[in-house]
Amino acid sequence: MDNLGVFLQIIFWGLYAGCIYILLATGLNLIFGVMKIVNFAHGEFLMIGAYITATIFFISGINPYLIILLSMLALIGIGAVIERFCFRPILGTGKLNEIFLSIGLIYIFQNGAAIIWTDEWQSVKSPYDGISLPFGSLSVPLDYILIMFFTAAIICGLYLFLKKTTIGMQMRATSQNRKGAMLVGIDVERIDVISFGLGCALAAAAGTLWIVSGQIFNPYMGSIPAIKAFAIIILGGLGSIPGAIIGGLLMGLAENGAAFLLGGIWKDAISFVILIIVLVVRPTGLFGEKGD
Amino acid sequence: MHFKKDEMVKYGTVLALVIAITIPFATDSMFILNLLVLMLIFIIFASAWNLLAFSGQGSLGHAAFFGIGAYASTLIAANSGMSPFITIFLGAAVAAFVGILIGLTCVRLKEWFLAMVTFGFAIIVQTLTVSVLAPITGGWDGIASSRLLSPSIPGYQLIEYYAVLLITIASVAAIWYIMKTRIGLAFLAIRENELEARAAGIDPVRYRLLAFALSAYLAGVAGALQIHHIGYLTPELYGVDNSFWPVTYVILGGLGTLAGPIVGTIALTIIWEGLKSTGLTFGRYVIVGVMLILAIIFLPRGLVSLPEQVQGWLKRRKRKEPPSGTG
Repeated sequence: MDNLGVFLQIIFWGLYAGCIYILLATGLNLIFGVMKIVNFAHGEFLMIGAYITATIFFISGINPYLIILLSMLALIGIGAVIERFCFRPILGTGKLNEIFLSIGLIYIFQNGAAIIWTDEWQSVKSPYDGISLPFGSLSVPLDYILIMFFTAAIICGLYLFLKKTTIGMQMRATSQNRKGAMLVGIDVERIDVISFGLGCALAAAAGTLWIVSGQIFNPYMGSIPAIKAFAIIILGGLGSIPGAIIGGLLMGLAENGAAFLLGGIWKDAISFVILIIVLVVRPTGLFGEKGD
Repeated sequence: MHFKKDEMVKYGTVLALVIAITIPFATDSMFILNLLVLMLIFIIFASAWNLLAFSGQGSLGHAAFFGIGAYASTLIAANSGMSPFITIFLGAAVAAFVGILIGLTCVRLKEWFLAMVTFGFAIIVQTLTVSVLAPITGGWDGIASSRLLSPSIPGYQLIEYYAVLLITIASVAAIWYIMKTRIGLAFLAIRENELEARAAGIDPVRYRLLAFALSAYLAGVAGALQIHHIGYLTPELYGVDNSFWPVTYVILGGLGTLAGPIVGTIALTIIWEGLKSTGLTFGRYVIVGVMLILAIIFLPRGLVSLPEQVQGWLKRRKRKEPPSGTG
């Protein structure tokens, strides 16, 4: 394959990986925007979402792309429970407590999943496995295109939800000014539960799309992508959804470029190298502002 | 029973020392002695993490300093022929130096940015170890590390235990001393209110860097000790597990107290080994996770505050008073 072909290949891989990061980072941004909490265990929701999809698929054999909705619904429920019983009691006691609490959640989810589903690597076979579409000089698996399509659809759906529905508007109001939202009669605790649940649902979508595209998975799959998603929202600006989208795409591209140039081992480390460089140059992130 | 807090602390310390010194005579099991050595090492590690937390900085990547200390000490010992008892402190100095470098990028950041940068840093160090540095570190396979004491010496395990105990006591005493000096007060001032600390003439950046260096140094000592005790090291040292354990120990024991890391490490080691004997593998982590979350919500000052809390409950019961808001 010629140089241009390799270049296009890396771009496509980057876009594909970027989709997963976009969903994760948008979910985190939603939660951070409304509740101002930092949940390092967000990747565990991605993992649980992936396992729920896989389990339903193994039992029923339904097209896994359709199971994504069930998985997202399940994660809204799980997220609501976690918000109510873990994060709400410590809301406002400091960021460090939230980080420590997420470590507890990571222990529980990873090892709980290992008990239920074992810690072996598993995989799901997509019904479109092996089908590729020609794209100029290279052929792109249909799964990758479907994943980009699903990501775009979910993000557009979220955008409409935030702009057009009452709950969406209440979420934006709470995120802009919590006290003000309370004053105008918004039940902010209810909004917290909804935002947390929605954020988890986006993680479930990311997990589902990741495994449906043929990636192998185990209970520890989620933690590194989640921390990278945090890096993305810091780079892209806290609470900014367009920032999360651009950041996610850039991270996907940078990672795959680095894996190609420096070797696959650098895939995880490179995102943190970028993060550290950006934070040294601009301690508030690329588009971030002062304040929380 | 009425004890003043000072007296309790004094008697507690003496009692703990007596137990620590006499415990090897109560058991002749090599397994338990080995466990005790590892526990002491983790007390140093947890105390090191806690020292950084004193200045309001929570690291999620302390495995990096633990591992750097271990690798540096092993490599220095292998290339110079010096005794591990000397290279431990040289290796830790390397960890402290790296700690200052990473501290330079972290000290101006908000607390949770810092958690992420340190977490990522551990991954970067691990990647470097297995890629660029593989020729000297042995890559994923790891390398052998010279033992603290040769197993041919009669009773070497007992000597090793006391040596590690001595280093542990020295480390905790050093932290205790630091926290009593102006440096310690500056750490606390920065943690409580950075703006006021600045107004009082404390330079937060300088003191945070100092906290980073001291904490990385002690973490490096712990890492080097562990590796020279085991005799082998692999890049798994930099793993997330090693970064999360000190956090778990300290939170359970009591964040920001001298006794917290010690109490937490001992309590959790006992629970952990107890659960192991019931045959749980993944279940152990689930239980630790649940305990951690319960502690954060219901016992935010950790196990060391338990006696106070219980006394408070009993008093309230006796007087049949409505619960008042104790801080």
